[in-house]
Amino acid sequence: MYESDIANAEEAVKSEAKATEAVKEGEKKAEYPPAPKLTAADYPQIGGFNSRILVWIVAQLHLWFAAFVLAVPIFVLIIEAIGMATKDQRYDNMAYEFIKVSMAAYSITAIMGGLLTFSLLIFYPDLFKYLTSLFSRSMLAYAFLFFAESASLYVYYYGWHWLEGGFKKWVHLTIGLVLNFVGTVLMLFANAWVTFSMSPNGVDPGTGAFLGSEWDVIHNFLWNPLNLHRVVANIAYGGSIIGAYAAYKFLGSASKEDRAHYDWMGYTSNIIAVGGLLPLPFAGYWLVKEIYAYSQQMGITLMGGVFAWLFIMQAVLIGALFLSVNYYLWCGMGRSEGSVRYTKNIKWIAAAVVACFLVWFTPHTLVLTNQELKALGGPYHKYLGPLGIMPAKNTAVNIMIIMTFLSFTLYRRVNKIATVSWADAGSAVQAAIFAGGIGNIIFLGVYHGYFTNTAYKVASSIPQVSSTAVVIIATLIIDSMMFKGAKEVAPLRWGNVPARSQYALFTLAVSFTWLMGLMGYIRSGIRQHWHVNSIMRDNSINAFTPTIGYAAQVVTLAAVIFMAIVIFIFWLSNISSKKSAAH
Amino acid sequence: MGKVIGKIFIFLLATVFVFMWVGYAVTKMTGGEKKAAGAVEITPEGGETIFWGKGRCFTCHSMGENGSAVRCPNLGVWGDKFPLPIGKRAESRAKERQAQTGLPYTATDYLTECLATPGAYIVEGYKNEMAVVYAPPISLSLHEIKAVILYLQSQGGEVDVNAVNNPSEIAKKLHDKISAAGAAGGGDPGHGEEVFKGSCVNCHMLKGEGGKIGPDLSNAGNKPLKFLSESILRPVDAITPGYETWVVETKDNTKAIGIKTKDDAQGVEILKATGDIVTVARADIKELTQDKTKSLMPEDMIEGLTVKDFQDVLAFMMMQKEKK
Repeated sequence: MYESDIANAEEAVKSEAKATEAVKEGEKKAEYPPAPKLTAADYPQIGGFNSRILVWIVAQLHLWFAAFVLAVPIFVLIIEAIGMATKDQRYDNMAYEFIKVSMAAYSITAIMGGLLTFSLLIFYPDLFKYLTSLFSRSMLAYAFLFFAESASLYVYYYGWHWLEGGFKKWVHLTIGLVLNFVGTVLMLFANAWVTFSMSPNGVDPGTGAFLGSEWDVIHNFLWNPLNLHRVVANIAYGGSIIGAYAAYKFLGSASKEDRAHYDWMGYTSNIIAVGGLLPLPFAGYWLVKEIYAYSQQMGITLMGGVFAWLFIMQAVLIGALFLSVNYYLWCGMGRSEGSVRYTKNIKWIAAAVVACFLVWFTPHTLVLTNQELKALGGPYHKYLGPLGIMPAKNTAVNIMIIMTFLSFTLYRRVNKIATVSWADAGSAVQAAIFAGGIGNIIFLGVYHGYFTNTAYKVASSIPQVSSTAVVIIATLIIDSMMFKGAKEVAPLRWGNVPARSQYALFTLAVSFTWLMGLMGYIRSGIRQHWHVNSIMRDNSINAFTPTIGYAAQVVTLAAVIFMAIVIFIFWLSNISSKKSAAH
Repeated sequence: MGKVIGKIFIFLLATVFVFMWVGYAVTKMTGGEKKAAGAVEITPEGGETIFWGKGRCFTCHSMGENGSAVRCPNLGVWGDKFPLPIGKRAESRAKERQAQTGLPYTATDYLTECLATPGAYIVEGYKNEMAVVYAPPISLSLHEIKAVILYLQSQGGEVDVNAVNNPSEIAKKLHDKISAAGAAGGGDPGHGEEVFKGSCVNCHMLKGEGGKIGPDLSNAGNKPLKFLSESILRPVDAITPGYETWVVETKDNTKAIGIKTKDDAQGVEILKATGDIVTVARADIKELTQDKTKSLMPEDMIEGLTVKDFQDVLAFMMMQKEKK
């Protein structure tokens, strides 16, 4: 019966006519316009400006400042709560100083946001109009939330001393919580606009016309992976910028007290940055996995060809981050004379971190001349070739994290001796946990990485990460029990660190800054000649993928502008402190 | 403090310039990249622009001494493995394909197949990992792909413009595939087939396989693209006759909703969305009405698909043209 219906030519003609009618009817009813199809003439050229570079730099500056001002209140709230719980005023003072630094950055963030909006309106009016038609409600909500964010931030900052003690402190903490909530929602909205351009949803796939549900447009395929990635990265980044501030103040301090204060502040910031840095590779890993899941082509574009070499640059930057963090911890051991017990181990940790860095740095395919390729017998080196693929990278990053945690563990015990009766056994168990964890990670990386089916190669990363987590958590638990009531043998003398240790904090901040710029370029660049992937083409004269060198130049220019503004903010807060002190 | 600021700024500048230098060094090592061209002609020169630009072919393929990619076969003369350039190599590969398939492959057919269905012939020692070049983000048009074929032919082979523009039966099918993908917004029909098998095949028949709740789609490619698109996005606006939604209410107040597959003196037969068939005797029918506001196809079908899935499945649908 069905077949006869379909085969009936008369019916088919009727059906088509009806369908065409329905389509016409649907078009009449269509509430939303399709995505515009642009030509090069639709992109205004104003005053010889390169619109792409201008928007790129302004967007990047906005993102750096926004990441900083969103992250600082998160850990300020935590530090303030710690201060309240421990009744240690130092924490409260430090939290206040952190938020003070972010105040000036907050207005710069808003200025950059405004500049970005105007740049888009001027240089990409059709794209902006299209995005506005899709995100009208969330953009309006964003504007109102920005008021809420400003109001809660100002009350939080200016009411710090007014809302001190007892119930008032609870009120202050609640305002801090509101501030963080509003800030996070703001970021989620902005993330939706960005991820929509990569993995559009909620629009007519044929025309790009809005289908009516803004939630569908917001809740696109890559939204949540990017949300997680940015929250974690913001914390690490915020910690590193505050660390740079502490280092700046430390280097300019004349008194011992000030040096001690800013040394402690730098140490705390470093711990915050590391706390964000450790889970960051895994959040990034999830994001890339989801990009592959959304579009294999986009995944190949991301991880193959010229973009693959950007990940070698990423390895350089992450290597710089880990080495800076470890170097800072090693220098910090000098705060206590008890460190002599551990300094002999540092060279081995350093060797392991450098080895892991080199593994991460090893490219999968080598750039060789044909003569070299022939001499090598292929693109992969006999021994080094396997280090270029994912299982080796996963192994390296997990061991690098464990080694960094080992540096931290040693640092924590430089000034004390455990007095519990089972201290030796506890240390032996900890050593066994470290050795077992590393052994398991290597086994998983080597066995599943090279001797099993391809499907297991990536899957083995999960037990590897679990091993790292077990090492960290188990060691922390044993440590906290073992060093409860420990005897202090050589007190930590805050401020007693070499000036070069502070440059490790600057390296951390600048590496993070540059890394964020680079990764932002990659995320945006994989769309190639699309404003909105597969929906709205970029037909401007700039619809080409820049080389790494070109991107590096733009990111460097933006980073230099950012650093100049940040140093200006540090200086501003310095003169403000002087005025307060004079009063 | 000014001296400290100066030192810090110099240190920071030095650090970022080291990073920038690494970027330049990597660019130099990898050979950089050319700007993508605008519209190109169907000529070897046009194809060369695409190969080294927009098509991103160079990310995986080298051309003899040019380029440094090694992930996929070198398309020029390179060592013992590739003694012939791709233009010449295509002729012997065509013979291999002819032996494998029994179809009269020409060198042009082989090259077209390499670009349209790269998994059809995998060079020994390499993996089936070539991106679908006519799907986003690369999205080459048939026009551009023809130009690339001519460029590849120009590498030691005969440049056959006529064969590219007047394709054989083998190449014609591949051209149709690329055109369908382009018309569907750049969808990948290969992935579209997977989406179809995952989401559509339970209700729709395709070449003798699948469900009977929705129309047979074996000839869907003959329908206008807009109709196919609307059928998925707003199925109620594009119901094929015979697949209207009927509601039968019995005298004991039970309801059955589905397609009316039989309606005669004895009663009606309703095929429900679940695939169950409900037969109601004429005497038991209280009311039999057509619900013009509903289609058995889920209205929220699109919510389960990404934009990419949709374009891929649309591209796959456009390829479904049965011979009469």
